[in-house]
Amino acid sequence: MEKTCVEQKKQYDILIIGAGVAGLSAAKSAYELGCRSILVVEHTNYLGGILHQCAHYGFGDGLNGPEYIQTLLDAFPNELEYRLNTTVIGIHADKTAVLSSAEYGVQTICFSQLILAAGCREIQAGALDIAGTRPMGVYTAGQMQEMINVYGILPQSPVVILGSGDIGLIMAKQIAEIGGEVALVEQNSVLGGLERNQWGIEQYAIPVYFDTTITELHGEKHLSAVTLGNGAELPCKTLLIAVGLIPNQELLDGIGHPDWLHLCGNCNRIHAMIESVVYEGKKAGISACEKL
Amino acid sequence: MLMKDSAVNEQIKYDVAIIGGGILGCFAARNLMRWNVSAVLIEAEDDVCKGITRANSAIVYTGYDNKPGSLKAALTVQSNRDFAKLCEELDVPFSRCGSLLVAFDSEAETVLQKKYHNGIRNGVNGLKLLSGAEVLELEPMLSANVRVGLYAPDTGTVNPWQLGIAACENAMANGCDVWCNETVSNIVRSENGYWITTSNKKVHAKAIINCAGLSADQVQNLLYPAEVSLDFDGADYLVMDKAIAKPKHVIFHETAEGKGITAVPCTEGNLLLESTARALTVPFASTLEGIRSVKDTVKAVLPQVDTTKVIRSFGAVRPNLRGRNGENISDFYIGNPAPDFYSLIGVKTPGLTCADALGRSVAEKVAVYLHAEENTAFSPVRKGIAKTDGQIICQCEQITKGEIIEAIKRGATTVDSIKRRVGTGMGRCQGSRCTYAIERLLEEEIHGENVRRAKETI
Ligand SMILES: Cc1cc2nc3c(=O)[nH]c(=O)nc-3n(C[C@H](O)[C@H](O)[C@H](O)COP(=O)(O)OP(=O)(O)OC[C@H]3O[C@@H](n4cnc5c(N)ncnc54)[C@H](O)[C@@H]3O)c2cc1C
Ligand SMILES: Cc1cc2nc3c(=O)[nH]c(=O)nc-3n(C[C@H](O)[C@H](O)[C@H](O)COP(=O)(O)OP(=O)(O)OC[C@H]3O[C@@H](n4cnc5c(N)ncnc54)[C@H](O)[C@@H]3O)c2cc1C
Repeated sequence: MEKTCVEQKKQYDILIIGAGVAGLSAAKSAYELGCRSILVVEHTNYLGGILHQCAHYGFGDGLNGPEYIQTLLDAFPNELEYRLNTTVIGIHADKTAVLSSAEYGVQTICFSQLILAAGCREIQAGALDIAGTRPMGVYTAGQMQEMINVYGILPQSPVVILGSGDIGLIMAKQIAEIGGEVALVEQNSVLGGLERNQWGIEQYAIPVYFDTTITELHGEKHLSAVTLGNGAELPCKTLLIAVGLIPNQELLDGIGHPDWLHLCGNCNRIHAMIESVVYEGKKAGISACEKL
Repeated sequence: MLMKDSAVNEQIKYDVAIIGGGILGCFAARNLMRWNVSAVLIEAEDDVCKGITRANSAIVYTGYDNKPGSLKAALTVQSNRDFAKLCEELDVPFSRCGSLLVAFDSEAETVLQKKYHNGIRNGVNGLKLLSGAEVLELEPMLSANVRVGLYAPDTGTVNPWQLGIAACENAMANGCDVWCNETVSNIVRSENGYWITTSNKKVHAKAIINCAGLSADQVQNLLYPAEVSLDFDGADYLVMDKAIAKPKHVIFHETAEGKGITAVPCTEGNLLLESTARALTVPFASTLEGIRSVKDTVKAVLPQVDTTKVIRSFGAVRPNLRGRNGENISDFYIGNPAPDFYSLIGVKTPGLTCADALGRSVAEKVAVYLHAEENTAFSPVRKGIAKTDGQIICQCEQITKGEIIEAIKRGATTVDSIKRRVGTGMGRCQGSRCTYAIERLLEEEIHGENVRRAKETI
């Protein structure tokens, strides 16, 4: 197997899945340690991962997401090989990964070390105990963040956000900033998230319904209202779900945690600060090199 | 769905108009094409198969439930036998996974025995009454408290809207026109048929096949007083993440109070869980009590199923057919108020199983009425959208750009209609990662360029 791979130049010392901050940091550190056989594979058509859609400031030295990515890319070794619009659809115990792309179709790549930096996904409405109809106008908060910041599409107001973690808070502030009517629903009796993200709630006097959750959706084609745990109905046209993130570890189903596998970033555990993502990425690059 | 561009013509004439593009209308259309007739399928929604056909249990029944001698029993047994061939013709995945009807108490045991004997009389193959131990051997995921089971090896599962869409594509390939976004609002008699008024058009047809699902009684009432009427109840469904451990068979649960939950290992790999019947709230809305009671009951019946891994829940509407005096009519009902008017009213379970047979039966009656000749060019074969290699758009279900574009070429005009053709957004993230990418593909394909969607205002 390995032999065929070498013949077809599909053998890499290190394969990195995901070109977010974690994957890019891992690639850079492995390169700096002398590794020259690295491939970074990225599902989207850009480098930088989730930061691409984070228009708010608060990354590193007061930068917004895209600016922060740019600092990473400026320091990125030119020779590093990466492929965009390419998705890893399987990882196997014999140290092969299956890639799918328009250019190469379905292709098997062999590697010695694997760095999984595939980020996380959001918990979506369907996973929650929410009854009612299934109208349009229900999104995850990150999905709406991408629609607003990358594609310039604004949500229909009023907006209700379920969950007051960092992403819920950031979205509430942004929607208030652009003139939308917004309210938060939080099951605990205090706001979640970082203190700096909580300020916006006070600043824009955003109503927060504490100690309750959303139990039902209304609206035949488009969302018209949500019901809260106490029976109250909140009229709204958009609902954003911001109740948590789940590491993308499905590729590991059936292979467990072999010693050639290194996880970093949100794919390993959910990070609140970019510094710890960079740190974990570096560490993954180093430990992969050590095993070579 | 795209329609033939005859929208401006005020005087459109067809031999047959089929009202309602659910699975029954689609199969009526497909089977009409076996004769030399012109036909149009008229659907109120923006795509076919968005009504009852979208929210049901996806089971291909064997016929042991049905009363011996009934039309239901005869059609179900025959349709089950023919199902693999039908799915082969239409290139739709079908899994003959078998089913176990299980009971945990002695009262329910007698029901199983009755169904077993019904099944034998109806000619259902391979039925077996099993002890608790035998049931557990076949299906170790069931609770060890199971007392008896009725095993039916011929039960299967199929994706209902995929089958309906396949029938619709096959009808179109054989010459049937399909109009979406056209609600039939009026029907009047003419000398040799009917004038039908829809949202934007007026069309003449020599005969009508009414398959308007939840409104089928009302559509018939536009012209003929129906001897039957519909009332409704509901059910709740949960779709589970593919990754969880799931039973291999369809599991029906019989309780002392009647039918309990149903668990279906779908062809896509998800487990579908259905509640018992409940009163209807808002059409197609789920209830919190229903969602919670399914989870609780599943914990008792299939304790190893991880009920926390739900990816979607939804509500269903079940039409109940009533006679003039409000009595329940349990058999299939084919209304025929005039020689040129046929209605399928209140077709619930097992309407999916029998869709081709029911569609064929009404199509044949209409063809005979029209003295139509057989269409020797009819082809029953339709090819599905093949899995292709390439750029992945939907990561959960690993659907490529090529597959999505093919769905658009076949007439999908919304993210939802793409979803129902290739399975995008059906996975654990429920489209939260790929919806916008698909919207952009739709814009590119339909408008030929990447047009920015009109900004919604706040
Ligand atoms: C909405 C949001 C706001 C945040 N705000 C702040 C902030 O203000 N300040 C701060 O310090 N931190 C913030 N963070 C935290 C931090 O920035 C992120 O946790 C960090 O960017 C995560 O980086 P990552 O590389 O682990 O994941 P990601 O950036 O998600 O990158 C993962 C990459 O992997 C790719 N991928 C996934 N699966 C595959 C596959 N199978 N094949 C190929 N490619 C794949 C994805 O396309 C993606 O590009 C925020 C996080 C989020 C989610
Ligand atoms: C909860 C539930 C579970 C079921 N489970 C199973 C099962 O597991 N196995 C099985 O074999 N069967 C099952 N069935 C039965 C099966 O799903 C139905 O028999 C079948 O889907 C009915 O299809 P239809 O075409 O009549 O209805 P629909 O799919 O509702 O189609 C009717 C169509 O008519 C359109 N329409 C209505 N009025 C108008 C108008 N005025 N003008 C134009 N168009 C109009 C509607 O928009 C709709 O698209 C189940 C049924 C229910 C309710």
